[in-house]
Amino acid sequence: MVALIRRRFFGTKISPNSHRHKLQWSVKQVTKSNFSDSLQEFKSHLSASDFVAVSLQNTGSFSAPWNRVSSFDSPETAYLKVRRAAERFQLLQFAICPFTISGSKVTAHPYNFHLFPRDELNIGMPSYSFSCQTSYLTAMARQGFDFNACIYDGISYLSRAQELAAIVRMANPINLNYVVEASSSPPTVADTVFVERVKCRIKHWKKSCIDSTSKKIDDALVKSLQKLVLGGEQYGSRPCMTIAVCSERQVQLVSEMLREFFDDLVALKIPTKGGGTQAVRVVLTSSKEDKSLLERELQNAEEEQNKKMRGFREVIELVSASQKPVVSHNTLNDFSVIHSKFIAPLPLDVNEFLNSLQSNFPLIFDVNHMMKGIGPLENVTSIPAAVSHLKNRFFAPIEMELSHGALLDESKIHGQTVVRICYLFAKLCSVLKITPGSIQSSDGKVLDGYANVFRSCSGNSEESLDGGIRIWTNSPRKVDCKDLVFLWGFRNRPSAGMLKSLLQGSHDVFSEEFDVCLVDKSCAIVVFFHPNLSQAFLDVMNSEEISGSLKELVSEGLRAADYDTYKRACSLGLWETDLASSLDKASATPDHLSQRDPETKPAEIYWCNDLIINLDDL
Amino acid sequence: MNTTRHWPQRAFILSRALSRAFSDTPSPTFPLKHVTRSNFESALVELRSHVRAADFVAIDMEMTGVTSAPWRESFEFDRFDIRYLKVKDSAEKFAVLQFGVCPFRWDSLKQSFIAHPHNFFVFARQEIPLDRTSYEFLCQTTSMDFLAKYQFDFNACIHEGISYLSRGQEDEARKRLISPKGDQLTHPSHNLRETTDLPLVRVADVLFTERMKKRLGEWRDDLLQNRVGGPQEEKVPDDLNQQFRTVFFKMCPALSLDGFTSHQLSLIRMVTRKHFKDLTYVCFNGESTSEELVVYTDSESDKARLMEEVKNDHHRRAEMKINAAVGFRHVIDLLSSENKLIVGHNCILDIAHVHSKFLAPLPSTAEEFVSCVNKYFPSIIDTKILLNADYTLQRKMKRSSTSLSSAFSLLCPEIAHGFTRNVLSYEPCVKVEVHVDEMRSSNWNSGAKHEAGYDAFMTGCVFAQACSHLGIDFQLHSPSENLTQNEKLQKHMNLLYLSWINGDIIDLRTGNRSAELSGSNMIRKPYRKILFKNILLLWGFPSKLKPSMIRDCICKTLGPTSVICTYGIDQTAVFVQFSKAELVSDFLNLKETLEQSNDAISHLHPLSQLLEGGNTHAASYETYKEICASPISKVLFADQAEAVGIKWKTELLPSDKEESHDNTRSHLESAMDSPQAVEKSKSRNTEDVVNDSSNKRFCDDIIDSFLKVEKIRRTTNL
Repeated sequence: MVALIRRRFFGTKISPNSHRHKLQWSVKQVTKSNFSDSLQEFKSHLSASDFVAVSLQNTGSFSAPWNRVSSFDSPETAYLKVRRAAERFQLLQFAICPFTISGSKVTAHPYNFHLFPRDELNIGMPSYSFSCQTSYLTAMARQGFDFNACIYDGISYLSRAQELAAIVRMANPINLNYVVEASSSPPTVADTVFVERVKCRIKHWKKSCIDSTSKKIDDALVKSLQKLVLGGEQYGSRPCMTIAVCSERQVQLVSEMLREFFDDLVALKIPTKGGGTQAVRVVLTSSKEDKSLLERELQNAEEEQNKKMRGFREVIELVSASQKPVVSHNTLNDFSVIHSKFIAPLPLDVNEFLNSLQSNFPLIFDVNHMMKGIGPLENVTSIPAAVSHLKNRFFAPIEMELSHGALLDESKIHGQTVVRICYLFAKLCSVLKITPGSIQSSDGKVLDGYANVFRSCSGNSEESLDGGIRIWTNSPRKVDCKDLVFLWGFRNRPSAGMLKSLLQGSHDVFSEEFDVCLVDKSCAIVVFFHPNLSQAFLDVMNSEEISGSLKELVSEGLRAADYDTYKRACSLGLWETDLASSLDKASATPDHLSQRDPETKPAEIYWCNDLIINLDDL
Repeated sequence: MNTTRHWPQRAFILSRALSRAFSDTPSPTFPLKHVTRSNFESALVELRSHVRAADFVAIDMEMTGVTSAPWRESFEFDRFDIRYLKVKDSAEKFAVLQFGVCPFRWDSLKQSFIAHPHNFFVFARQEIPLDRTSYEFLCQTTSMDFLAKYQFDFNACIHEGISYLSRGQEDEARKRLISPKGDQLTHPSHNLRETTDLPLVRVADVLFTERMKKRLGEWRDDLLQNRVGGPQEEKVPDDLNQQFRTVFFKMCPALSLDGFTSHQLSLIRMVTRKHFKDLTYVCFNGESTSEELVVYTDSESDKARLMEEVKNDHHRRAEMKINAAVGFRHVIDLLSSENKLIVGHNCILDIAHVHSKFLAPLPSTAEEFVSCVNKYFPSIIDTKILLNADYTLQRKMKRSSTSLSSAFSLLCPEIAHGFTRNVLSYEPCVKVEVHVDEMRSSNWNSGAKHEAGYDAFMTGCVFAQACSHLGIDFQLHSPSENLTQNEKLQKHMNLLYLSWINGDIIDLRTGNRSAELSGSNMIRKPYRKILFKNILLLWGFPSKLKPSMIRDCICKTLGPTSVICTYGIDQTAVFVQFSKAELVSDFLNLKETLEQSNDAISHLHPLSQLLEGGNTHAASYETYKEICASPISKVLFADQAEAVGIKWKTELLPSDKEESHDNTRSHLESAMDSPQAVEKSKSRNTEDVVNDSSNKRFCDDIIDSFLKVEKIRRTTNL
């Protein structure tokens, strides 16, 4: 027998293998097909819960090593980096889990929504294209991610800003009764003439409509001829007529006139693609009941349309409307993505972003940041590491109860992280002696220290809105960004140690304490622990009096720039592969940034000796 | 492995094609040969012999997208060089997911072509860490959705796709994997880390080094004693046993070091080098793990031999690793080295992908690109060119579309629909027999459209059929005869559509470009000749303005016949084609003047509608090229122009007349006495003003320029 393959009908099925985690929880997987049912279920779970945990799966995070948020980043630059990633990459899975903590018991309802930015309405939204990092995709594949399910059946969405644009673009008729309010200015002569003319036309048309329905013409030819002559059209099964208008004022006049004289007509506003009004369509209804029926139909159609446009955003809207505290593992990353995909494009300014976020999600907790509250930790960046760390050091049993029961079906494995976040949060609350119940009441100040703290990365709690926490591992030193100098253009890719010893003898400024670390293969940071030396160094680099081995280095191509140049590189979007070329470009462009914002407050970062980049993001 | 292997077996389930509506006898439907990581090695071996025997090889690909922004689509107003820039942008940004290769061989016994359709799933992984930059590619949402509609298997691609290295990456990997580490092994002293002795600062380090020195010494002494005095009792304590295991390495006794930190290992390495002449520290890279060893050697020559062997081992392993990482590129190298005729359908983009992914980064001009392609693939035929260029084929096609699927069903109905035109079979169809592994069929149809392997097969069938219509008789065709030399094909050889929309054809041999012969193609209307000098680029205007309104707006100013047409690029940008080239610079000057002055007249000016919002930019056609050449791709053209770094609002052109006299334009600016003007406009000549401001001429110029402004005002009032 000849074995016949029809792959097209049996697309590769992916089942998770080797990745048997210790904790296996069943997560409800949601795609296009079960979205509306799951939404109802989610709604009730959400209203019954105290917290919401979220965890996101993106197609990538940073294109070049230096594009990653690092400990030398100030809040501004960290945000700019995260902003770029949020705009560039696509969100494929959104795991969300409403949960309640009572004592040591956590009741959780995890959902994992599969997303794909399909252009459902054929308007080039939500995204024309997106980037993928192969390393991310292969890592997802290793975890058994089903790309077919995601691309075939992922739920689409539009952000709030996109929905507004789409409504204009789609130009769907809108029921006039809802849109137009009464006019304030008295009618002019032209207005009166216009109204009278329209009124006359409508009367005539209405009469002929009623006549023709009573006469019962069977002949199709006569019917269509009549239609031609009268200019009548059909709206569904009802007759209708279109009145051309040339201003919003005329729309208003027509609407008022209709309300006054014709109670069996429903007026629809036909917008142009640009957002103005093209015409008013008048639909004739046979009775009061018929009219309300039509109005209901219109409303339903509109709601259906809106629902279709919002798609997955409905979930975000529910969470936002519930005002429940949101828990996440890396809030800056996650919420920049949430903001850009579901609310509006990310603003350039970090404070603007935080304000906008605050108005949508008033309480946000970062478990990673809360971990800092229990004392100095080393390299506990991943959730499993954090969980095991807590397990080893504290006795805080947490009992998990999941709505979807134990893991039976292997396909329900995706989105486990979100349950782990719930678990970790509950454990942290227990260790930190916080009664979760008190968060609900507004006087519960205990968690306040942890709420809405946006960390750029480990070792930087600079971004806390309320002062945050100052404890940190390896006693990192607080360093003013002014004391940082970026160096590039050295030959032979030296190590940080070699570079340090090279610099040590090159000039007097290096006789005091300083430190060097490499950002990427092309660029290093020098931190001066004594104030003003950085400026002195930069001055020397630009002066004629440069001499000795430093002169030698500069002739070899060594270049230096201050922190502002780095900031400028980020804000101008010069995301080159090497930081060196970005800084080269940034120093070539005039400094309009500092002019615009003369009183930049001195930013500080925490300097720690090892800027080791953790690649365990996945 | 278990699960990833699943898919071919799973797919081996019997299933019948949906659409056999036409056929009485359904054609056998076995699928293409799908090639993934797991069966790549064996498939490559087979493919090698098929390609070697083939008369021609048809290719096709599926990508993650085509255009990175709406304005990057192909326009009528794209000049030749711009078209190449658009192709280049697409090939650089998007990834190839599937590569279809289908060798066709004429079998004179069966009087039929034998086709071997292969469908390679390709996915570039970073199998060898070349540098820290990540592999990244773009996906166009609509393209992904399109592939999904045709049930494209993304899982097979991402989970099991074959990776590859380009030629450049392979060289880089060689440099990295073979030379430095090899040196490090053979000549430890050359390594920088080795020469600089680790400073023993910490007490712990000092103690550890001493202890290791002692242990290694003991071990060596033991060995020597053993050799002399026969077996002895095991003296080494247990805990030490775990870290030091005596093994044999290349016939030499060795200590395998296990459970040390890298710092400790480097201390051991230092001790070995410093204190033991007969011990050598070796880092041995196994299949998956690397092993650290201290090896005992009898003599210097023994040591040298050992190091040589280690080095060779290392080289061999690195070579194998690189060879494996080259992956799918072996197929491309095969196609190139066999010098076979390559057949594609509208394949400029495919060829560009091949160039950028497997050969080298795409050059900046079409001419360089073409010469490089011609070097690697000396004979390429595009079936779309063939179908459009020849009159007999045109007639055959009954003027229908020359898309691949319609050409296939028209030219090869037997294969496409599984029936013979028994009534109208006045012309014989070229027979094609398909071989996939041990399965074969003479009327095969997997029906899997938009699967690269199947599309390649269709392309090959169309080509074979087209050849027969051109009068190439395969039955007289001897195996020795080469299709690439066939004179009937010569005039179509190595011609590609640079852009189908414009019918712009490029010759791969010469780099010459030509418009499509208008006589041969009866479907399309002859093209308008476009003078790019007459074209103005406008962007950032108020969003309510439509191209037609912009046209009216300009006509009111420069005369009713000034504008031939306007052409919308996207909602933020438009091309304006003027009737004369001077009108472009006239418009630019006028715009600049209007924006400088702030009086009532400028507000009442008909152009003010266009300039409203203060963000309207205008430039000549060359700026369009600059913007297209940028690697950035913003969705809206206006955003793109900003991202490219265009800071001026009006690009002023040095018109020929003015240039010959004096730099009126720049003097006009200085006359206006506005520093912003200098900053905003890309004025090349402002410096000249500073340099030669001999007063008299300067005054004359000012008068000149005022007269000019006056003239413009007068024309606008008309």
